[in-house]
Amino acid sequence: MEYKIDQTLDCKGLSCPMPMMKLAKAMKGLKSEEILEMIGTDPGTKSDLPRWCEKSGNKLVEEGELEGGIFRFLIQKK
Amino acid sequence: MSEKSKEPGVLGNLFKTFFAKHWPVWVGAIVLGTLNILLFAIKSPWGASGGINNWGENVFKLVGIFGLENATPTNASLYGMLCLFLVIGSFIGALFSKEFAFRIPPKGELIKGFIGGSLMALGATFGIGCTIGAFFSGMPALSGGAIIFTIGLFIGTIIALKYLMWEMEKFPKFSSGKSYVFLSGTGKSGSWQIYLAWIVLIITFIISYQYSGNNKIMAWFIIIGMLMGLISQRSRFCIVKAFRDPFMTGEADGSVGVMAGLLIGVFGFTIIKYFGIGIGDVAARAREMTWVFPHFFFRAAIGGFVFGIGMTIAGGCAVGTLWRVGEGQVKLWASALGFILISPISKLYIVPPIVNSLPQSLDFKNYLPDYLGYPGAFALVLIIILIWYVFVKWNEKTGRFSAF
Repeated sequence: MEYKIDQTLDCKGLSCPMPMMKLAKAMKGLKSEEILEMIGTDPGTKSDLPRWCEKSGNKLVEEGELEGGIFRFLIQKK
Repeated sequence: MSEKSKEPGVLGNLFKTFFAKHWPVWVGAIVLGTLNILLFAIKSPWGASGGINNWGENVFKLVGIFGLENATPTNASLYGMLCLFLVIGSFIGALFSKEFAFRIPPKGELIKGFIGGSLMALGATFGIGCTIGAFFSGMPALSGGAIIFTIGLFIGTIIALKYLMWEMEKFPKFSSGKSYVFLSGTGKSGSWQIYLAWIVLIITFIISYQYSGNNKIMAWFIIIGMLMGLISQRSRFCIVKAFRDPFMTGEADGSVGVMAGLLIGVFGFTIIKYFGIGIGDVAARAREMTWVFPHFFFRAAIGGFVFGIGMTIAGGCAVGTLWRVGEGQVKLWASALGFILISPISKLYIVPPIVNSLPQSLDFKNYLPDYLGYPGAFALVLIIILIWYVFVKWNEKTGRFSAF
Protein backbone atom coordinates (compact mmCIF):
# COMPACT_ATOMS: atom_id res chain seq x y z
CA MET A 1 0.00 0.00 0.00
CA GLU A 2 1.23 3.47 -0.88
CA TYR A 3 1.19 6.07 1.88
CA LYS A 4 1.43 9.83 1.53
CA ILE A 5 4.51 10.89 3.46
CA ASP A 6 4.22 14.22 5.25
CA GLN A 7 7.72 14.45 6.67
CA THR A 8 10.98 12.53 6.42
CA LEU A 9 13.43 12.17 9.29
CA ASP A 10 16.96 11.10 8.36
CA CYS A 11 18.71 9.34 11.25
CA LYS A 12 21.35 7.54 9.21
CA GLY A 13 24.59 7.04 11.12
CA LEU A 14 23.02 7.96 14.46
CA SER A 15 23.00 5.55 17.39
CA CYS A 16 20.93 5.33 20.55
CA PRO A 17 19.43 7.61 21.90
CA MET A 18 19.50 10.15 19.05
CA PRO A 19 17.09 8.38 16.62
CA MET A 20 14.38 7.98 19.26
CA MET A 21 14.89 11.51 20.61
CA LYS A 22 14.65 13.01 17.12
CA LEU A 23 11.65 10.84 16.31
CA ALA A 24 9.74 11.81 19.46
CA LYS A 25 10.45 15.48 18.77
CA ALA A 26 9.46 15.26 15.10
CA MET A 27 6.20 13.47 15.92
CA LYS A 28 5.25 16.34 18.22
CA GLY A 29 5.24 18.67 15.20
CA LEU A 30 2.86 16.51 13.14
CA LYS A 31 -0.92 16.70 13.01
CA SER A 32 -3.13 13.72 13.76
CA GLU A 33 -3.12 11.03 10.99
CA GLU A 34 -0.06 12.55 9.29
CA ILE A 35 2.73 10.15 8.38
CA LEU A 36 6.40 10.45 9.19
CA GLU A 37 9.02 8.47 7.30
CA MET A 38 12.08 7.65 9.35
CA ILE A 39 15.24 6.19 7.90
CA GLY A 40 18.13 5.06 10.03
CA THR A 41 20.93 2.57 10.45
CA ASP A 42 20.89 1.73 14.18
CA PRO A 43 19.67 -1.87 14.65
CA GLY A 44 18.36 -0.83 18.08
CA THR A 45 15.64 1.22 16.39
CA LYS A 46 14.08 -2.03 15.08
CA SER A 47 13.00 -2.91 18.62
CA ASP A 48 12.85 0.58 20.22
CA LEU A 49 10.52 2.11 17.64
CA PRO A 50 7.67 -0.47 17.67
CA ARG A 51 7.76 -0.45 21.48
CA TRP A 52 7.56 3.32 21.58
CA CYS A 53 4.68 3.33 19.06
CA GLU A 54 2.80 0.81 21.18
CA LYS A 55 3.27 2.94 24.27
CA SER A 56 2.60 6.33 22.69
CA GLY A 57 -0.42 5.20 20.65
CA ASN A 58 1.13 6.19 17.32
CA LYS A 59 0.78 3.60 14.57
CA LEU A 60 3.70 1.88 12.86
CA VAL A 61 2.17 1.39 9.43
CA GLU A 62 5.18 0.02 7.61
CA GLU A 63 8.70 -1.16 8.34
CA GLY A 64 11.34 -2.56 6.07
CA GLU A 65 15.01 -2.84 5.28
CA LEU A 66 16.56 -1.13 2.27
CA GLU A 67 19.89 -1.92 0.63
CA GLY A 68 23.03 -0.83 2.46
CA GLY A 69 21.87 -1.57 6.00
CA ILE A 70 19.23 1.16 6.05
CA PHE A 71 15.98 0.68 7.95
CA ARG A 72 12.80 2.50 6.94
CA PHE A 73 9.72 3.07 9.08
CA LEU A 74 6.42 4.83 8.40
CA ILE A 75 4.67 6.09 11.51
CA GLN A 76 1.21 7.59 11.59
CA LYS A 77 0.49 10.10 14.34
CA LYS A 78 -2.48 9.17 16.53
CA MET B 1 7.08 -29.76 -2.45
CA SER B 2 9.63 -27.09 -3.27
CA GLU B 3 7.99 -24.75 -0.74
CA LYS B 4 8.28 -27.41 1.90
CA SER B 5 12.01 -27.78 1.31
CA LYS B 6 12.47 -24.07 1.98
CA GLU B 7 11.15 -24.35 5.52
CA PRO B 8 13.93 -24.28 8.12
CA GLY B 9 14.56 -27.51 10.01
CA VAL B 10 14.80 -27.95 13.75
CA LEU B 11 18.28 -26.43 13.93
CA GLY B 12 17.30 -23.67 11.51
CA ASN B 13 14.43 -22.72 13.78
CA LEU B 14 16.72 -22.78 16.78
CA PHE B 15 19.10 -20.43 14.94
CA LYS B 16 16.19 -18.11 14.11
CA THR B 17 15.12 -18.08 17.77
CA PHE B 18 18.50 -16.64 18.72
CA PHE B 19 19.29 -14.44 15.74
CA ALA B 20 16.17 -13.46 13.77
CA LYS B 21 14.87 -10.95 16.29
CA HIS B 22 16.17 -9.06 19.30
CA TRP B 23 15.58 -10.75 22.64
CA PRO B 24 13.55 -9.02 25.33
CA VAL B 25 15.97 -7.11 27.57
CA TRP B 26 14.83 -8.99 30.67
CA VAL B 27 15.70 -12.34 29.09
CA GLY B 28 19.20 -11.12 28.25
CA ALA B 29 19.62 -9.55 31.69
CA ILE B 30 18.62 -12.75 33.50
CA VAL B 31 21.20 -14.73 31.51
CA LEU B 32 23.81 -12.02 32.11
CA GLY B 33 22.99 -12.04 35.84
CA THR B 34 23.46 -15.81 35.85
CA LEU B 35 26.80 -15.60 34.02
CA ASN B 36 27.85 -12.93 36.52
CA ILE B 37 27.17 -15.41 39.35
CA LEU B 38 29.28 -18.01 37.54
CA LEU B 39 32.16 -15.52 37.22
CA PHE B 40 31.94 -14.86 40.97
CA ALA B 41 31.76 -18.59 41.73
CA ILE B 42 34.98 -19.30 39.82
CA LYS B 43 36.85 -16.07 40.70
CA SER B 44 35.25 -12.63 41.03
CA PRO B 45 32.23 -10.80 39.59
CA TRP B 46 31.75 -9.00 36.30
CA GLY B 47 33.49 -5.67 35.80
CA ALA B 48 34.26 -3.64 32.69
CA SER B 49 36.27 -0.53 33.58
CA GLY B 50 39.22 -2.55 34.97
CA GLY B 51 39.56 -4.43 31.69
CA ILE B 52 39.35 -1.26 29.61
CA ASN B 53 41.95 0.35 31.89
CA ASN B 54 44.21 -2.64 31.22
CA TRP B 55 43.90 -1.99 27.48
CA GLY B 56 44.81 1.66 28.07
CA GLU B 57 47.84 0.77 30.17
CA ASN B 58 49.04 -1.52 27.40
CA VAL B 59 48.59 1.21 24.79
CA PHE B 60 50.78 3.58 26.84
CA LYS B 61 53.23 0.76 27.56
CA LEU B 62 53.59 0.24 23.81
CA VAL B 63 54.15 3.96 23.25
CA GLY B 64 56.56 3.99 26.19
CA ILE B 65 55.08 6.82 28.23
CA PHE B 66 53.78 7.22 31.80
CA GLY B 67 56.12 4.49 33.17
CA LEU B 68 53.66 1.66 32.65
CA GLU B 69 56.22 -0.97 31.62
CA ASN B 70 55.00 -3.25 34.45
CA ALA B 71 51.37 -3.22 33.25
CA THR B 72 49.87 -6.72 32.98
CA PRO B 73 49.75 -7.76 29.31
CA THR B 74 46.13 -8.03 28.15
CA ASN B 75 46.51 -11.73 27.30
CA ALA B 76 47.36 -12.35 30.98
CA SER B 77 44.69 -10.05 32.43
CA LEU B 78 41.40 -11.78 33.30
CA TYR B 79 39.35 -8.61 32.94
CA GLY B 80 41.30 -7.34 29.93
CA MET B 81 40.42 -10.62 28.18
CA LEU B 82 36.83 -10.62 29.49
CA CYS B 83 36.28 -7.22 27.89
CA LEU B 84 38.07 -8.22 24.69
CA PHE B 85 35.92 -11.31 24.26
CA LEU B 86 32.81 -9.32 25.13
CA VAL B 87 33.55 -7.22 22.03
CA ILE B 88 34.23 -10.40 20.03
CA GLY B 89 31.02 -12.02 21.33
CA SER B 90 29.00 -9.00 20.24
CA PHE B 91 30.75 -9.15 16.84
CA ILE B 92 29.68 -12.81 16.55
CA GLY B 93 26.08 -11.98 17.58
CA ALA B 94 25.88 -9.08 15.11
CA LEU B 95 27.32 -11.23 12.30
CA PHE B 96 24.96 -14.16 12.95
CA SER B 97 21.99 -11.80 12.80
CA LYS B 98 23.45 -9.90 9.82
CA GLU B 99 23.38 -6.69 11.85
CA PHE B 100 27.07 -5.91 11.60
CA ALA B 101 28.13 -2.84 9.63
CA PHE B 102 30.63 -0.03 10.02
CA ARG B 103 28.32 2.86 10.86
CA ILE B 104 30.17 6.16 10.76
CA PRO B 105 28.11 8.98 12.30
CA PRO B 106 28.31 12.75 11.73
CA LYS B 107 31.37 14.47 13.22
CA GLY B 108 29.49 15.96 16.18
CA GLU B 109 28.46 12.49 17.31
CA LEU B 110 32.08 11.28 17.17
CA ILE B 111 33.10 14.21 19.39
CA LYS B 112 30.32 13.38 21.87
CA GLY B 113 31.40 9.73 21.84
CA PHE B 114 34.99 10.65 22.74
CA ILE B 115 33.99 13.13 25.44
CA GLY B 116 31.44 10.68 26.90
CA GLY B 117 34.01 7.88 26.98
CA SER B 118 36.58 10.14 28.64
CA LEU B 119 34.07 11.17 31.33
CA MET B 120 33.20 7.51 31.90
CA ALA B 121 36.90 6.77 32.44
CA LEU B 122 37.18 9.62 34.93
CA GLY B 123 33.97 8.59 36.73
CA ALA B 124 34.98 4.92 36.88
CA THR B 125 38.41 5.80 38.30
CA PHE B 126 36.96 8.16 40.87
CA GLY B 127 34.10 5.85 41.81
CA ILE B 128 36.24 2.65 41.69
CA GLY B 129 33.97 0.96 39.20
CA CYS B 130 31.55 1.50 36.38
CA THR B 131 27.91 0.63 35.76
CA ILE B 132 28.91 -3.02 35.89
CA GLY B 133 31.44 -3.25 38.75
CA ALA B 134 29.94 -0.59 41.00
CA PHE B 135 26.29 -1.13 40.09
CA PHE B 136 25.27 -4.35 38.29
CA SER B 137 27.73 -6.35 40.42
CA GLY B 138 28.06 -3.87 43.30
CA MET B 139 24.40 -3.92 44.35
CA PRO B 140 24.25 -7.75 44.47
CA ALA B 141 27.57 -7.65 46.37
CA LEU B 142 25.58 -5.87 49.12
CA SER B 143 27.86 -2.85 48.97
CA GLY B 144 26.62 0.38 50.56
CA GLY B 145 28.83 2.33 48.15
CA ALA B 146 26.96 0.79 45.20
CA ILE B 147 23.73 2.42 46.39
CA ILE B 148 25.46 5.82 46.52
CA PHE B 149 27.06 5.21 43.11
CA THR B 150 23.57 4.44 41.74
CA ILE B 151 22.14 7.70 43.09
CA GLY B 152 25.06 9.56 41.45
CA LEU B 153 24.34 7.76 38.17
CA PHE B 154 20.71 8.88 38.25
CA ILE B 155 21.58 12.53 38.83
CA GLY B 156 24.33 12.51 36.17
CA THR B 157 22.02 10.84 33.64
CA ILE B 158 19.19 13.34 34.16
CA ILE B 159 21.52 16.34 33.80
CA ALA B 160 23.18 14.95 30.65
CA LEU B 161 19.79 14.11 29.14
CA LYS B 162 18.75 17.73 29.70
CA TYR B 163 21.91 18.76 27.87
CA LEU B 164 21.18 16.42 24.91
CA MET B 165 17.68 17.83 24.59
CA TRP B 166 18.99 21.38 24.75
CA GLU B 167 21.60 20.55 22.10
CA MET B 168 18.95 18.95 19.85
CA GLU B 169 16.79 22.08 20.20
CA LYS B 170 19.46 24.76 19.84
CA PHE B 171 22.11 23.06 17.69
CA PRO B 172 20.35 20.36 15.66
CA LYS B 173 23.14 20.41 13.07
CA PHE B 174 25.63 19.10 15.64
CA SER B 175 24.16 15.61 15.34
CA SER B 176 23.39 15.86 11.61
CA GLY B 177 25.54 15.74 8.53
CA LYS B 178 27.34 13.17 6.48
CA SER B 179 27.27 9.59 7.66
CA TYR B 180 28.46 6.38 6.06
CA VAL B 181 27.64 2.69 6.28
CA PHE B 182 30.03 0.01 5.05
CA LEU B 183 29.88 -3.79 4.84
CA SER B 184 26.24 -4.11 5.88
CA GLY B 185 24.69 -7.56 5.69
CA THR B 186 21.37 -6.67 4.07
CA GLY B 187 19.79 -9.35 1.89
CA LYS B 188 21.29 -12.55 0.53
CA SER B 189 24.61 -10.88 -0.30
CA GLY B 190 25.09 -10.50 3.45
CA SER B 191 25.46 -14.26 4.03
CA TRP B 192 29.23 -13.78 4.38
CA GLN B 193 28.46 -12.40 7.84
CA ILE B 194 27.10 -15.77 9.00
CA TYR B 195 30.13 -17.67 7.65
CA LEU B 196 32.50 -15.22 9.32
CA ALA B 197 30.56 -15.56 12.61
CA TRP B 198 31.19 -19.33 12.61
CA ILE B 199 34.90 -18.79 11.97
CA VAL B 200 35.25 -16.24 14.80
CA LEU B 201 33.24 -18.48 17.14
CA ILE B 202 35.49 -21.47 16.44
CA ILE B 203 38.64 -19.33 16.91
CA THR B 204 37.25 -18.17 20.29
CA PHE B 205 36.83 -21.78 21.45
CA ILE B 206 40.35 -22.65 20.24
CA ILE B 207 41.85 -19.71 22.18
CA SER B 208 39.90 -20.70 25.29
CA TYR B 209 41.07 -24.31 24.91
CA GLN B 210 44.69 -23.15 24.69
CA TYR B 211 44.37 -21.52 28.10
CA SER B 212 42.57 -24.49 29.66
CA GLY B 213 45.81 -26.35 30.54
CA ASN B 214 47.55 -23.73 32.67
CA ASN B 215 44.88 -21.14 33.34
CA LYS B 216 41.45 -22.69 33.68
CA ILE B 217 39.92 -19.49 35.06
CA MET B 218 41.06 -17.55 31.99
CA ALA B 219 39.60 -20.26 29.72
CA TRP B 220 36.20 -19.71 31.33
CA PHE B 221 36.51 -15.91 31.42
CA ILE B 222 37.02 -16.04 27.64
CA ILE B 223 33.90 -18.18 27.05
CA ILE B 224 31.76 -16.21 29.50
CA GLY B 225 33.00 -12.88 28.09
CA MET B 226 32.10 -14.03 24.57
CA LEU B 227 28.63 -15.14 25.73
CA MET B 228 28.12 -11.85 27.58
CA GLY B 229 28.90 -9.87 24.42
CA LEU B 230 26.65 -12.03 22.26
CA ILE B 231 23.75 -11.84 24.73
CA SER B 232 24.17 -8.09 25.29
CA GLN B 233 24.08 -7.51 21.53
CA ARG B 234 21.01 -9.68 20.97
CA SER B 235 19.06 -8.19 23.89
CA ARG B 236 20.41 -4.61 23.48
CA PHE B 237 21.35 -4.74 27.18
CA CYS B 238 22.46 -1.26 28.17
CA ILE B 239 22.43 0.28 31.60
CA VAL B 240 22.25 3.86 30.36
CA LYS B 241 18.93 2.91 28.76
CA ALA B 242 17.66 1.68 32.12
CA PHE B 243 18.49 4.99 33.79
CA ARG B 244 17.68 7.34 30.91
CA ASP B 245 14.58 6.07 29.11
CA PRO B 246 12.07 6.70 31.94
CA PHE B 247 13.08 10.37 31.77
CA MET B 248 13.19 10.46 27.95
CA THR B 249 10.39 8.50 26.27
CA GLY B 250 9.03 7.13 29.55
CA GLU B 251 9.66 3.51 28.57
CA ALA B 252 10.38 1.08 31.37
CA ASP B 253 11.51 -2.04 29.44
CA GLY B 254 15.23 -1.33 29.77
CA SER B 255 14.89 -0.59 33.49
CA VAL B 256 12.82 -3.68 34.21
CA GLY B 257 15.35 -5.79 32.29
CA VAL B 258 18.26 -4.53 34.36
CA MET B 259 16.22 -5.09 37.53
CA ALA B 260 15.66 -8.72 36.52
CA GLY B 261 19.42 -9.17 36.15
CA LEU B 262 20.05 -7.46 39.49
CA LEU B 263 17.49 -9.68 41.20
CA ILE B 264 19.18 -12.86 39.97
CA GLY B 265 22.54 -11.40 40.99
CA VAL B 266 21.38 -10.54 44.52
CA PHE B 267 20.29 -14.13 45.15
CA GLY B 268 23.45 -15.69 43.68
CA PHE B 269 25.95 -13.27 45.23
CA THR B 270 24.33 -13.46 48.67
CA ILE B 271 24.47 -17.26 48.63
CA ILE B 272 28.13 -17.23 47.51
CA LYS B 273 29.08 -14.74 50.23
CA TYR B 274 26.95 -16.29 52.96
CA PHE B 275 28.27 -19.81 52.43
CA GLY B 276 31.78 -18.76 51.37
CA ILE B 277 31.46 -20.62 48.04
CA GLY B 278 34.64 -20.63 45.94
CA ILE B 279 36.66 -19.41 48.90
CA GLY B 280 39.94 -21.15 47.87
CA ASP B 281 42.92 -19.78 49.76
CA VAL B 282 41.19 -16.51 50.52
CA ALA B 283 40.05 -15.62 54.04
CA ALA B 284 36.30 -15.81 54.64
CA ARG B 285 36.15 -12.08 55.32
CA ALA B 286 37.96 -11.26 52.06
CA ARG B 287 35.46 -13.40 50.11
CA GLU B 288 32.59 -11.56 51.81
CA MET B 289 34.11 -8.19 50.95
CA THR B 290 34.50 -9.01 47.23
CA TRP B 291 33.35 -6.05 45.09
CA VAL B 292 32.83 -3.90 48.20
CA PHE B 293 35.05 -0.95 47.36
CA PRO B 294 36.44 1.81 49.61
CA HIS B 295 34.25 4.45 48.01
CA PHE B 296 31.47 5.02 50.55
CA PHE B 297 30.32 7.66 50.11
CA PHE B 298 32.20 10.56 48.51
CA ARG B 299 34.04 8.72 45.74
CA ALA B 300 30.93 6.70 44.89
CA ALA B 301 28.74 9.82 44.71
CA ILE B 302 31.12 11.83 42.51
CA GLY B 303 32.16 8.80 40.43
CA GLY B 304 28.56 7.78 39.76
CA PHE B 305 27.60 11.35 38.87
CA VAL B 306 30.47 11.85 36.38
CA PHE B 307 29.97 8.36 34.92
CA GLY B 308 26.23 9.06 34.51
CA ILE B 309 26.98 12.21 32.50
CA GLY B 310 29.57 10.38 30.38
CA MET B 311 27.46 7.34 29.53
CA THR B 312 24.44 9.47 28.56
CA ILE B 313 26.49 11.69 26.25
CA ALA B 314 28.25 8.67 24.73
CA GLY B 315 24.98 6.74 24.34
CA GLY B 316 26.36 3.61 25.98
CA CYS B 317 27.60 2.58 29.42
CA ALA B 318 30.86 0.62 29.71
CA VAL B 319 29.32 -2.64 28.50
CA GLY B 320 26.98 -0.81 26.12
CA THR B 321 30.04 0.80 24.57
CA LEU B 322 31.89 -2.51 24.26
CA TRP B 323 29.13 -4.46 22.54
CA ARG B 324 28.33 -1.57 20.20
CA VAL B 325 32.03 -1.53 19.24
CA GLY B 326 31.59 -5.18 18.20
CA GLU B 327 28.50 -4.26 16.20
CA GLY B 328 30.45 -1.66 14.22
CA GLN B 329 29.00 1.56 15.71
CA VAL B 330 31.89 3.96 15.16
CA LYS B 331 30.51 6.56 17.61
CA LEU B 332 31.11 4.03 20.35
CA TRP B 333 34.60 3.37 18.99
CA ALA B 334 35.27 7.04 19.76
CA SER B 335 33.78 6.46 23.21
CA ALA B 336 35.96 3.38 23.77
CA LEU B 337 39.01 5.35 22.62
CA GLY B 338 38.25 8.11 25.15
CA PHE B 339 37.77 5.49 27.87
CA ILE B 340 41.00 3.64 26.97
CA LEU B 341 43.19 6.78 26.80
CA ILE B 342 41.78 8.70 29.76
CA SER B 343 41.45 5.80 32.21
CA PRO B 344 45.20 5.34 32.93
CA ILE B 345 45.73 9.13 32.93
CA SER B 346 42.91 9.50 35.50
CA LYS B 347 44.38 6.71 37.59
CA LEU B 348 47.91 8.12 37.54
CA TYR B 349 47.47 11.86 37.54
CA ILE B 350 43.92 13.19 37.97
CA VAL B 351 42.25 11.17 40.72
CA PRO B 352 45.10 10.51 43.26
CA PRO B 353 45.78 14.17 44.16
CA ILE B 354 42.06 14.68 44.83
CA VAL B 355 41.41 11.52 46.86
CA ASN B 356 44.65 11.81 48.82
CA SER B 357 43.48 15.15 50.15
CA LEU B 358 40.20 13.66 51.43
CA PRO B 359 39.80 12.34 54.98
CA GLN B 360 39.57 8.54 55.11
CA SER B 361 36.21 8.78 56.87
CA LEU B 362 34.71 10.00 53.58
CA ASP B 363 35.64 6.82 51.72
CA PHE B 364 35.54 3.41 53.35
CA LYS B 365 34.27 -0.05 52.55
CA ASN B 366 30.64 -0.19 53.55
CA TYR B 367 29.40 -3.76 53.67
CA LEU B 368 25.67 -3.65 54.34
CA PRO B 369 25.47 -6.96 56.29
CA ASP B 370 27.90 -5.46 58.86
CA TYR B 371 25.14 -3.01 59.78
CA LEU B 372 21.92 -4.81 58.88
CA GLY B 373 22.86 -8.49 58.96
CA TYR B 374 22.41 -10.63 55.84
CA PRO B 375 18.57 -10.60 56.00
CA GLY B 376 18.45 -6.82 56.41
CA ALA B 377 20.97 -6.12 53.63
CA PHE B 378 19.24 -8.57 51.28
CA ALA B 379 15.85 -7.00 52.04
CA LEU B 380 17.19 -3.46 51.57
CA VAL B 381 18.47 -4.22 48.05
CA LEU B 382 15.20 -5.94 47.15
CA ILE B 383 13.20 -2.95 48.47
CA ILE B 384 15.32 -0.54 46.38
CA ILE B 385 14.65 -2.65 43.27
CA LEU B 386 10.93 -2.76 44.10
CA ILE B 387 10.71 1.02 44.59
CA TRP B 388 12.55 1.56 41.30
CA TYR B 389 10.14 -0.86 39.58
CA VAL B 390 7.05 0.88 40.95
CA PHE B 391 8.45 4.27 39.92
CA VAL B 392 9.28 3.34 36.31
CA LYS B 393 5.98 1.50 35.75
CA TRP B 394 3.98 4.38 37.28
CA ASN B 395 5.95 6.88 35.20
CA GLU B 396 5.45 4.79 32.06
CA LYS B 397 1.71 4.99 32.61
CA THR B 398 1.47 8.64 33.63
CA GLY B 399 4.45 10.12 31.75
CA ARG B 400 4.94 12.34 34.80
CA PHE B 401 8.74 12.54 34.52
CA SER B 402 9.25 11.75 30.83
CA ALA B 403 10.27 14.44 28.37
CA PHE B 404 8.18 13.19 25.41
